[in-house]
This record gives sequence, C-alpha cells and structure tokens, in this order.
Amino acid sequence: MNRALGLYAIAAYSFLHLPLLVLSVFSFNASRFTRWEGWSLKWYSAMAADAALMEAAANSVIIALAATVGATLVGTLCAYGLWKRRVAWLTGSLYLSLVSPEIVTGVALLAFYQWAFRFLDVQLGMHTVVLAHVSFSLAYVVVVVLSRLRTLDPVLEEAAMDLGATPWWAFYRVTLPQLLPGVAAAALLVFTISFDDYVITSLVAGVDSETLPMLIYSTARRGASPVLNAISTVLVVGLGGLILFAERLREA
Amino acid sequence: MKRRAFLALGAATTACTRDPRPRLNVFNWSDYIAPEVIPNFEREFGVKVRYGVYEVTEEMVARIWSGNSGWDVVFPSNAFVEPLREAGLLAPLDHARLPGLRNLEPTFQSPQWDPALAWCVPYMWGATGIVYQRSLHPAPRAWRDLWAAPLAGRMTMLDDPAEVLGACLKKLGFSVNATSPDELSAARQEAVRQKTVLRAYLNAEVRDQLIAGDLLAAQAWRLTAQQAIDAAPERLEFIFPEEGFPIYADCACILKESKRRELAHEFLNYLLRPEVAASTAVAMKTSTCNGTARPLLPAAVRDSPIYYPPAEVLARGEWFTPVPAAAQRLRDRLWTEIKSA
Amino acid sequence: MKSRSNRRPKNAAQTAPSRSRLGNGFALLSRARQQAVLSVAKPAPLAASVTAFLSPAVVLQLLLFVAPMLIIAGYSVLSRGAYGGVESPWTIENYQRLLDPLYGVILLRSVWLAAVSTLLCLVLGFPLALFIARSGRRKNFYLQLVIMPFWTSFLIRTYAWLFLLRDTGLLNTVLQATGMISEPLPLLYNDGAVVLGLVYGYLPFMVLPLYATLERLDPSLLEAAADLGATPWVALWRIVLPLCRPGILAGAILVFIPCLGAYLTPDLMGGGKTIMIGNLVQNQFTTARDWPFGSAISLALMALVMLLLMGAARRKGLEGEGEPLL
Repeated sequence: MNRALGLYAIAAYSFLHLPLLVLSVFSFNASRFTRWEGWSLKWYSAMAADAALMEAAANSVIIALAATVGATLVGTLCAYGLWKRRVAWLTGSLYLSLVSPEIVTGVALLAFYQWAFRFLDVQLGMHTVVLAHVSFSLAYVVVVVLSRLRTLDPVLEEAAMDLGATPWWAFYRVTLPQLLPGVAAAALLVFTISFDDYVITSLVAGVDSETLPMLIYSTARRGASPVLNAISTVLVVGLGGLILFAERLREA
Repeated sequence: MKRRAFLALGAATTACTRDPRPRLNVFNWSDYIAPEVIPNFEREFGVKVRYGVYEVTEEMVARIWSGNSGWDVVFPSNAFVEPLREAGLLAPLDHARLPGLRNLEPTFQSPQWDPALAWCVPYMWGATGIVYQRSLHPAPRAWRDLWAAPLAGRMTMLDDPAEVLGACLKKLGFSVNATSPDELSAARQEAVRQKTVLRAYLNAEVRDQLIAGDLLAAQAWRLTAQQAIDAAPERLEFIFPEEGFPIYADCACILKESKRRELAHEFLNYLLRPEVAASTAVAMKTSTCNGTARPLLPAAVRDSPIYYPPAEVLARGEWFTPVPAAAQRLRDRLWTEIKSA
Repeated sequence: MKSRSNRRPKNAAQTAPSRSRLGNGFALLSRARQQAVLSVAKPAPLAASVTAFLSPAVVLQLLLFVAPMLIIAGYSVLSRGAYGGVESPWTIENYQRLLDPLYGVILLRSVWLAAVSTLLCLVLGFPLALFIARSGRRKNFYLQLVIMPFWTSFLIRTYAWLFLLRDTGLLNTVLQATGMISEPLPLLYNDGAVVLGLVYGYLPFMVLPLYATLERLDPSLLEAAADLGATPWVALWRIVLPLCRPGILAGAILVFIPCLGAYLTPDLMGGGKTIMIGNLVQNQFTTARDWPFGSAISLALMALVMLLLMGAARRKGLEGEGEPLL
C-alpha cells in the first residue's frame, strides 16, 4: 500500500506543480504561440518595458505592505485581548468575516464606501483598497496569532505582573517575544493574500489603484499573452522565494 | 520588524510621489486609441493623463455611478448617453471650447441621441456582424447561420446582453431595441437554443481564437473582427448579416464630477483634430466619426466596404437606443436565464 | 521591574500638562493616552488594558465589517432606482425574487458544482494527506510542497490552466503533434473546466486539516488492527477513515464555502456560459446595477454559509473533537 501511496503522491504533486512549471518554461519561449522555437528573454524585457505593468506592480506592493502592517498590528493586539478575555460578538464577527464569500465582502465594502462618500469628499483609491484589505485579513491574523498564544503558558506573564510590570509591559517584554514567529507567519499570510486579491480589490479600487491582479485579469480575458507567462513566473519565483526566506528566518 | 516594514512603506510612498503636472483621468474602451495619442497630448499640453480601459459600457457605468469615481472623460456607447445625462452624471459641453466639432461628419453633427451635441462628442462608430473562416462552407450570410449544427463548439457570441439579444431579435425580424415582453422572450428562446452550438460568450478574446483557427465563426464588433482579419487576411472574412445588424457610436463625454473640465475640453478637442482621429482610426482599425480625418486615411481603409459600408448595407443597420427601465429589467433577467440555461 | 512601577505615578502626573501643551502632536497624544491608561489600569489592570488591546480591532470590525453588512441588509429591503442606485419604498420584493425558480436553479447549480469540487478534493486529498502523515522525517518538506502553490496567485494558477487547456494550448498541441487526436479537444468552457479550476485552487485547504488529524492518529490502533488480522486496506476503511471525520468535516467546509462563492473560476474557465451565485451577485452590483437585489442575494448566501457552519459546529460538538478556531 505504501508503494501505491508513493506513486499517487508523485501524480498529485505533478498535478499541483506541473501547470506552473510548464507556464514558467514557456515564458522563455521565443514564439508567442505554444510551439517551442528556442529560448528567449524577450517577454521579460517586454514586461520590464511596460510602464502600466510596473505601476500596477508598485501599487500592489504598496497596498500589500500597508495592509500587512495594519492588519498584523491590530490583529496581534486583538488576538492577545481575546486570549485574555472572550468577547463573544467580536469572535463571532471575525469568524464570520473569515468565512464570508469574497464577493459578498467586496460588495458590502463597496456599498459602505459609496454610502460614506455621501458625507465625505473622498474617492475610491489606494486608501479604500488598503482599508478593505486590512479588514478582510484581520481575522486571519487573529486566528494565526491566537493559535500560537494557546501554546504559551500564561503563568510567565502573571509572574511578571506580580513583580510589578504593567499589562502592556508584560505583553511587550514577556509575551510578544514568544509570539513573534506567529506574528511573522500572520504577516506573511496577510502579505500574500493582499497581494493576490482580485475580487474585493476590483470592486473598491479607484482611478489610481490598479493592482497587478487586476491587470493580469484583464490581460487574461483578452487572450493568451506570453508577457503574462513572464509575469507569472516572476511572481511564482518571487513569492516562493519570500516563503523560503521566511522559513529560514523561522528556523534560525 | 515592524519598524523595518514602516521604513519600506515610507520609501515606497516617497518613491512614487505625485507628478506635479496637471492631471486628466480618461476612461476608454480597450484598443480604442492610437498608442502615440496620449503621449503627444501630454507633451503638447504639459499634463499627465491617467488612461484606464474597460471592455463593456456597463463596466464603466458601474464605476462612475457614484459620482465620485475620479474619472474626467469617459466614452459611453450612444445608447448610454441619455441615461447617464438623466442620472445627472454628465457635464454639459462648452462648444466655444470645441471648435473641432465642425470636423465631424454631417450625420454625427446632430445624431438622434443628442441632436445639439450638448453632452457628447461622437468618437468612433461601429457595427456588429459575423467574422468567419473562409474555409467554412457554406459561408454565413445571416445571423440565422450561427445556429447551424456544423459550428458546434467552434462559434462564439459576444458576452453582452444587448448584442446577443439584438442578434436573436434581428434573426426573428424584430428591432434590436425591442421592449415588448413577447418579442424579448422569443429572442431568449433563440439564445437558449443556440447554446448547444455555442462555445463561449467572449468579447475581445475572440480575436486570438480566430487568428489561431480555434473558431469557425463569431459574433464580433467590426473593429475586433478587422484586427483579426488583418492578422490572417487570407483566412478570415467579415459580413454584415442579412437580417440587419446593430450600429453604435462611442462618444466622448465629460463627467459632471470632473474638476478639470477645461482640460477635459482641450482633450476632446484634441481628439477631434483630423490627424489625431486618423491615427487612431488606422492604428486601431476603427471607423471614425471625423469627416476631415477620412481623406487622411490610406485608400485601402478609406474605400473599404467594411470600414465604411455603402449606403445600401448601412440601411440594414439599426442604432441602439436607450431601453426604458422596465424593459431593461426584463432584459437583465432574460440574460440571466440565458446564461444559466 | 520594581523600581519601574514605583516611578509610574510620577509619570502619570506629568502626562496631563504635557498633553495640553502639545495637544496636536498625534504621537505624543497617543503616548500620553497610553500612559494614562497604564496608570488608571493599576487598580484593575486587566479589564482596562484588555479593552485597549481590543479596541483597534473593535473599531475596524465595526466600521469595515459590521457596518457594511448592515448597509447591505438595509439595501436589500429597498427598491432599485430607475437607472440604478437605491430608492424607497421599503419592500420585501427582492427576497421574493429569490424564490423565483431561475435563481433557485443558479443556486442549486452552485451548490452542485461546489459539492462535486469538494468531493473531488477529498478523494484526491486524502491519499496525499495519508502519504505526508506517513512520510516520517520529511513530513514538513512534503507539506510545504502542498502549500507552495497556494502562496502563488490564484489568478495565475487559473491562468496556467487556461494556458494548458485552450484549443491551441499545450495539451491539445502535444496531443495533435503526436497524432493522438486530429481535432483539438474542447477542454475549456464547460462545467468540467470550472470544477477542475476549483479543485486545483482549493486542494491545499483539504489536505491540511486531513493531514492534521491523520498525524494525531495513534499508530498503535493500526498495529492492533493488524494483529487482529485486518489488512491495511480494511484498517484504512474501518479505522482511519472514521477517525478522520473531524478533519474531513473541516476540510470540506474550507473547500465548500469558497467554491460556493466562486466568481473568477466560472468566469475564466467557464467562458461566461454558466453562472454561479458569485457571478450573479457581481452582475447585480455592476452590469445590472440592481443593488437591492444583489444585497438580498448576498445576505441569502451569507445565511446559507452560516447554516452550514452551525450544522458543522453541532456535529463537531457532538463528537467532542477539535478546538475552536478563535
């Protein structure tokens, strides 16, 4: 049975990885069609020369970084608070936001922004996208950090407070250092989710906030594009590298 | 780690600090402007243009609906000009700032949807027809030929309710702008029946699939068809269907929310220049509404019966007009029924 | 530590004047406020500071989740304006429209496609999870190998399949070149392609919880079964599978819910020929501009998801297994 399992695993891993691998190989194809005509880097230079693409990539990075900082900060504090005291409605609402279909979250945020804009002179843009991303990734941070907190011994912190530390000081000096791997994992998760999001972003984006996924989507809808193969490869390698780097950090 | 993230964020934001030049935000159809037009306009007027694209008018309308989208100039199809104006989204045009308006063809100087050109400047016009592989026998002549069994799995329709219902209505001999529930539901039945041979509902993507030979025939906008044909002229052909076909004109409008109306007028007027209109018409293979641009076009384009069909063909065309709210709602529903059938 | 706490009252005394002097400096203000909280917190340290820890999340959650949902709920009982937007009067018509068989069919189709995808994920994911759980020291590596594609963009993973499956895509090109087929196979633009996209997209969500339960499985149970003469297959069927139920349930929920609301996959892989409930919601908010009806569908979808979760939670509670997520 183990041999069968091993064979199956090879097939399953091929299923998971081959599509992306093939796509990456073909990003080096000289032809714009699926016939192999030799190696070439021309789609990569076309990619680098595309100003709209570079701007979308920059937007995506800025949004993902801002959302990561915001959601990780608020989410970590929240997880710690929930560890100390159960707040049923907050837990419930976070849980709900975690499971609500993306499209529903997106249209709800859009409706909320449009409603709020009746009273404020604001437009959809980077800020609305960042707020949306912080909002939908908050629950992920809380879940990840809370699961780490559950492995900690509250006694340490109590001891610190018995010795006169304030709750903030105890959190900062005793609990937070032990939490850091969880916080880092949460931050990484937020970054990738935010960087990848299309459904919600496309609904709440404004004039100046076209992101990479939005660009990829509209390009993909217009047909096959070898430049898109190149972008995909860069993203797969880039994000993959980020994960490996993060793993290293955690092991070190 | 947090501090480092903050620093990176700060660096990233300062790296892309705002351009000091005045800005204009233009939202247009994809593939609808020659690549050099925007850079030339930016250079000549010392401004920065943010140029965004959409694939169907509804997509654009959904964005600007709130009245604070940030866009200045948009290009709705003629049938959407009146609803947008009714909804208070458009700014009136100042003809003193648009001397180029007299470059328009006479028919577009007072079109039926905006006779005084008080709200819009006709930009490019087009029609919907059938593009097909010449190897296909018999060659399609009419919409009804798109129901033929040999096309199964090799034929696409546009992903646009007005177009699909329009073709079905024409097939049945009705107006593309039909509002009567009977006519519309008959059209729905045709569309549902067609799904057995339909490959997919696709817009711009048909171009690649036609060139690659995946498709035998497709309902397509004239300009998409032309782009495909020019890539494979020996294989592809376009026809205006016998039963009649929709015609539309995409018009430049300035949004009421725009805080840069003067610059927006400059841009509209710039687009009306004969050489600018001609360059887009050539590069994007569109049919321009600009009469003074016509002589500047290469003869092959100027005299092409597909770019500028003769009067007897045009007589079969029917302009899309705005649909009353009740009929629109019925159409939305029928479209959902067609899609989920 | 001791000395620090002794110094604190003095600090607190200083905050009041410093705050009024530099009242507009946000950083100072917040620091002062923090110190004020700390000094007040002394008599009941936990209560006040826990509130402070929670408050940013509370504000965010109220503003960007609860309020939007309430607005959607409000819109769902209003009428559509002539050209879009929302208008009075109040009405329950939008909910009545949900009963229309047309939308019922779309909902059923979504549930069906999501269920098929979930089942396929389970069938494909279970042996993989079993393999990982039994792979000893290299467990982590194999696990990472499952998670890796999940980190890369969902859109790109879908696009990769478009690349493989189109008529002129790699699969058809290779099959034609080798002479196995003469005409390209219609691999895209059908329900099968949609399910494939969903399974590919969400398989890791199934493998992870399955692996977690399999890993905790006591190996002595299997040894006992073997001693009693059970073949590995019988042991798998009679012992491992039943014990995996919490993992299966968790994985099924994690896969089923996003599949139910899927919107990109049917759009790209289905060629606009089928619509799922996610597309219906999106259409109402964009092309159809019927926000009230879109809101009603959204709420109905949320209700469905919640019912599902509550059902699952009850099952889980009965079996007394698993710890809460939050």
